[in-house]
Order: sequence, then structure tokens, then C-alpha cells
Amino acid sequence: MSNIIELKNVCKSFGDTEVLHNIDLSIQEGEVVVVIGPSGSGKSTLIRCINCLEMISSGELVVDTVRIPEERGRVRQIRLEVGMVFQQFNLFPHMTAIGNVAFGPAKARKMGKTKAENIARELLDRVGLADFENKLPGQLSGGQQQRVAIARALAVSPKVLLFDEPTSALDPEMIGEVLDVMKSIAKDSGMTMVVVTHEMGFAAQVGDRLIFMDDGRIVEAGKPEEVMKNPKSERLKDFLGHVKHH
Amino acid sequence: MGFEFSVITESLPALFEGAKLTWFITIIGIVGGMICGILAGLGRIAGTEALGEEPHGIFKSISVVIRYVSGGYVETIRGTPIIVQAMFLYFAFPMLVKAVTDIERFRIEALTAAVITIVFNAGAYIAEIVRGSVISVNKGLLEAGMSLGISRFQLIVHVIGPIAFRRMIPPLGNQFIISLKDTSLFIVIGVGELTRQGQEIMASNFRALEIWLTVAVMYLIMTTVLAMSLRQIERKMKIF
Repeated sequence: MSNIIELKNVCKSFGDTEVLHNIDLSIQEGEVVVVIGPSGSGKSTLIRCINCLEMISSGELVVDTVRIPEERGRVRQIRLEVGMVFQQFNLFPHMTAIGNVAFGPAKARKMGKTKAENIARELLDRVGLADFENKLPGQLSGGQQQRVAIARALAVSPKVLLFDEPTSALDPEMIGEVLDVMKSIAKDSGMTMVVVTHEMGFAAQVGDRLIFMDDGRIVEAGKPEEVMKNPKSERLKDFLGHVKHH
Repeated sequence: MGFEFSVITESLPALFEGAKLTWFITIIGIVGGMICGILAGLGRIAGTEALGEEPHGIFKSISVVIRYVSGGYVETIRGTPIIVQAMFLYFAFPMLVKAVTDIERFRIEALTAAVITIVFNAGAYIAEIVRGSVISVNKGLLEAGMSLGISRFQLIVHVIGPIAFRRMIPPLGNQFIISLKDTSLFIVIGVGELTRQGQEIMASNFRALEIWLTVAVMYLIMTTVLAMSLRQIERKMKIF
């Protein structure tokens, strides 16, 4: 298995504040990596660097043969291969569910309208929303919106999917439906996934690797169950204590 | 000297001619102003995160120049009275041309000066409307678009544009009505628009009440048509 994502000595600063310190991380094709950590630990920044929504300040990033910063002009190439699902869904409010999902194939992959809509229909069916294709985002529940957003990210057939706290903005009763869709993607399609989340159950069930971040550094990493059962650092023990109580 | 209804019927043909000219200047002003306004409004935020992400290399320098040029245009027009702009273009600009070139008999038609003035004037205000609406678009939507791998042009046309446009409609309605009423100022350079026609009839028959009442009602009808068409567009756009 080859590495599809590599971060070498990556630092990221916002102004004078360095939020990622010398991150080294390699992710293999088909791997499901779950990133946990307290608020402000840099986990969201880490995955936003992978699809260049944040440009790394120093170090090197290689995503599917594109090298950053040398090949900054090829950022779009990275984004075609790396989809993203956001905490706030970010569906286009002026497009229907099928319009949102068909948008990527039609514009980014330059497919015809019919072909793009066929792909979109198939994906909406896969996330259990076949009957909702003509609804606007405002007419859908949070869980439904997030499932449309996952279908939208899948529609450009990326090699990697990034999830930035995909269930954190959802009402508790809707978290399950979104996690189920994510689990089925991980199991059925062999998609490479990097998931920032607080859902430890999800991490244990489908994660190949669990990464604990704190203060802009990767503090611990390993098989999810081992990391959760035998946390080595005090900070992770403390963090797991907090997560389990909720 | 009571209210004479016949004064109104007699002056209607001339006032209609004036209203037609007012409408003509306004429509060109609105269309041209929209083009100027969209270019200058986007120009003022070129290369900023409001239009995707910051460019690098040579494009960064180009966008700085575009921002300064657009900003200079908007501030110059907003900072001077429209009546001064019209007089400058009609009276002073030909003298300026004469002073710096060999062209002796350069002149601008009053109507041309009026149209150019209203286009550039409306454009400056519309630029700010465009800029305000574009920067109000939720940044998460831009990130969602970018993360699909679309180009900046596609992002502006398919994501930012439609969302921003709906927010522009109410302030655009204001600006269109202001531009229509501003055409009355071109009386100073002798354009025969509605106010000028009223003034001329008034000067010959001294029936101020009848004439200015009719002129006011004709403006009101035209502004109402503008306002209603914008409401119509607003309704037609999807609710979100």
C-alpha cells in the first residue's frame, strides 16, 4: 500500500500564533484515520491543510503526487481528489439536494447535466435520501443536510474524504444516521478517510488508526482500541475521561 | 387663478416627451451602471478571501492594482456631486481636451454627457452594493465550492453570484430610483428631460401648481414601475 497523503515537518501559523508544530504524518490508501483532541488542538487545521483550505506555513505536503508548496498552482488537482464534509454542512442554499450533489460532477468534472444528475441520484439513494432530491437545504433536517453534503463530496469521486466534526452541529437523535452513512462508506468503498470527531464509538468501530492531538502536536497514535484502553500520556487520559462522561 | 385642468392636458404631450427622455437616460444608466458596478465592486475585493482564496505570485500584484483603481473610481464619484460631474463633463472636459491636444472643436452632446454621468455615478454606488453583498456570503459556502475542485470563475458565477444577487435587490431598488430622480439634475446642461420640460412650460404660462403636480405624478409613476419590477424579480428568485 502506498501513501496517498504525506505531511513532512509541517508547521502552520496564523499571524504570530503557531497552531501546528512540526507534524509528520503518512496516510495510506484505504486507511481510515480518526483524529481526536481538545478544542484548539489543531485537528481541524490539520485536515484543512490537507486540501489546502489552509496553506501550510512550512514543511512539505504531498497529496496523490501533488507536492505543496512547490506545486501551489495544482491545488485544484488536490481538491478534485480530496473531498470535504463540514461541521456546518455548507450546502448551497439556492440549489436543491440533487442540484448540490450534481454540481461537482457537472462543473469540476465537466460532465453533461444528465450524467451528473444520474450520479447524484445514485448517491442520494445511497445516503437514504432518494425521495428528497427536489428539496432545498432549508427544507431538510440537519442530519439530512449532512447526508446530502456527504453525497456531494462523494460525487466528484475523490480518493480521499475529509470530515471536519461532521456530527458536532447535529441534534443527538440525528448523529446516528450520519455515522451510519460514514461507516458504510468506510466499509464498502475502501475510501481513504480522515475524520475529526468526538465520536469514540465510531473511532473504535471503523478507525484503522487513532490520532490524539494536543497543542498543535500529535501526542499519541495507534490502533484505536489500544490507544483508548492504554493511554500513555496524562493529557490523553484526561481527555478520554472527559469524552466518556458525555 | 384656480386649478385649470386644461393646463395639464395641454402640457401633457411635451411632458411625455420629457418623460420618455428621462426613462431612456435611466434605463441606459441602470444597465451601464450595473456593468460598471459589478466590475468595480468585484474589483474592490479582487484577490481577497471574499472571492475564494488569495492568489499568489504575479496575480497578487495585479489584484492590488485592480483594488486601487476600483477604489479610486468609487471614492472619486461618491465624493463629488453628480451635478458637478455633469457640468465638468459637458463644459470643462472639452476645454481640457483642447488644452492637452490639438483637437479644436471637440464637444460632447448634452445627452451623451448626461448618459455617461449617470452610468458612472450609478456604477460607483452599485459597486458598493455588490461588494457588500459579496462579502456577506457565508465563507463556508466558498470553502464547500473550492473543496469540490471548481475554478474561481465557476465559484463566482455559480455560488457567490446567485447568493449575493438576491441580497442586492433591495439596495439596488434604492439606487435605481435615485438614478431616475438624479436625471432631473441634467436640467443644468440643457437636456430636455421631464423636469426641464416642466420648467419650460412653467416659464411660458406660470401655472406652477398644475405643471409641478403633473411632473411629480409622472416621476412617481416611473419610480413605481421600477420598484414593482424589482419586487417581481425578488419574488421569482427561489426562497432560501
